Amino acid sequence: MTTSSAQLETGSLDAFIAAAPWPQRMGLRALLAVARRPRGAALLARAAPWDQLPRGLLTVGHYDDPRVSRMLGWDVDAVIARGQELRRVEGRP
Amino acid sequence: MTGRRATRLDADVCVIGAGAGGAVVAAELAEGGMSVVVLEEGDWHDADGFTARMPEMLARLYRDGGQIMTLGKPPVLLPLGRGVGGTTLINSGTCFRTPARVLERWQHEFGVDVSEQSLQPCFERVERALSVSEVTPDLAGGNAEVARRGAERLGWSHGYLRRNARGCVGSGVCTLGCPTSAKQHTGITYVPRAQQAGAHIVTGAHVRRVIVERGRARGALAQMASGATIEVRSPIVVVAAGTIHTPLLLGRSGIGSQSGWLGRNLSLHPATAIFARMEEIVDMSRGVPQSFYVDEFAPEGIMFEGAAGPPAYAAMSLPLTGRRHAEAMAHYRRLALFGLMVSDSSRGSVRTLAGRPLIRYDLVQDDLMRFRKGLAHMRELFVAAGAREVHLPLPEGVSPEQARLRDLKLMAFHPLGTARADARPTHGVIDGDLAVHGVEGVYVADGSAAPSSLGVNPQLTIMALATRLAFGLLGRDMGSGHTNGEPRGLACPS
Repeated sequence: MTTSSAQLETGSLDAFIAAAPWPQRMGLRALLAVARRPRGAALLARAAPWDQLPRGLLTVGHYDDPRVSRMLGWDVDAVIARGQELRRVEGRP
Repeated sequence: MTGRRATRLDADVCVIGAGAGGAVVAAELAEGGMSVVVLEEGDWHDADGFTARMPEMLARLYRDGGQIMTLGKPPVLLPLGRGVGGTTLINSGTCFRTPARVLERWQHEFGVDVSEQSLQPCFERVERALSVSEVTPDLAGGNAEVARRGAERLGWSHGYLRRNARGCVGSGVCTLGCPTSAKQHTGITYVPRAQQAGAHIVTGAHVRRVIVERGRARGALAQMASGATIEVRSPIVVVAAGTIHTPLLLGRSGIGSQSGWLGRNLSLHPATAIFARMEEIVDMSRGVPQSFYVDEFAPEGIMFEGAAGPPAYAAMSLPLTGRRHAEAMAHYRRLALFGLMVSDSSRGSVRTLAGRPLIRYDLVQDDLMRFRKGLAHMRELFVAAGAREVHLPLPEGVSPEQARLRDLKLMAFHPLGTARADARPTHGVIDGDLAVHGVEGVYVADGSAAPSSLGVNPQLTIMALATRLAFGLLGRDMGSGHTNGEPRGLACPS
């Protein structure tokens, strides 16, 4: 996987981080800021436990991208459209 | 509501929380003729707003964005729902009745009078209200088929799970908000019933304390995000804020602490996930994510249940890094995923630090042994099913038998027990009727009431106990001897 900040839909990832409890929020933001820079990422890679959290977040952001998930056989837009249609046709809440 | 003036509402009952317990109590009491005010901290969530995008839905539907961690060895991620419907909004919808062995233990060890027979009408009533039925093989998905094949070959006990769903088409994203509204969570079942019967639902209300005067409940005081306060005056208060927040609220209110058990006795059902790369196309995100179980080792406290999700969900859980992670994800369609859940002997605690819950939980040796054994069996299951490769959630080179506490990557979905029921005031926070010891008119109706770990998903237990409480408050007998399960004198839900 090659993840770059340009590939990320940072909006939803930022909302996710903003929802975290404050101690985690501050830590995640700091680690992400470092991980998004090539030199920072290289530095973090030397400190394995600290590397996992931002890399996990970036990974989730990457695979959450509809273009990426479609390539893996899962079409989020189709799932949501089917839900809307069923609710409209059948009068579901 | 604007400004800082207190709004006063009067009711027969104030229910705090609109999740599995609170919504059920509110609906049953309102339909039984009582005036009810529900104070819910979260918001209403409309299915139109469900996008199935993981970070966005975690931020919106989960408390603290689904990022609550316990402190201890090892740390455990504890995702909880927030909003009308509570955790039922974002759970997998699995419905188990309380195992008979657990109820027997509650009776004998804790003096709680809940036999299988006495709870049966409550279970039947809840199951009818939520359209509980067994998942059909065609909806169960390829992930379940892998586990079924493995269990069949090994001769292990297994089956399709029962769920609260109606008209499910297997969207595969139960935990991100059901986009078809097929999952019958309490936000679209019991809460609308409560409203229809006249209950007043207040969302965005953070309850600061239960008002108690001269040893009796007098209501609750809540604060809105705007800063305005709401005072509900009621002679009965039902606290259903969930296992993490109920003990903190009781503690803030100066009640429930006399036994010393308030906030203690926390069990979690710690869990982990195991991946396998199969030869066949699995497409784990098609079908019901949690549709199948293997209970061969349930008597030992080890349960296997389906766990699946879209690529982002799999990517987050996949226990690989770097190139190996990317390679495995490139074969996402061939990945199978199953969960291992432990009925824990470990016990943790909840207290407040700087206004936030501080959850302490350390896994004991017995539970570590269960994980070791469970991981080895899960590998066996996948191998029997024809897995090409099994990815255990352990560091590279560590076998299940060698796993140490720090090697485990755990999540938990079923916190229970922090205001445990015990007939003796010296041993529990509430009595067998869920009334808080030492104060009149305050009851608890959520997972915190459970005296012990269940070993199965708890939503049905919480709802059945809430039903029993509501009928008790209405002074109506559920009629344990009734063969049709209908409570006397009260119409059944449609």
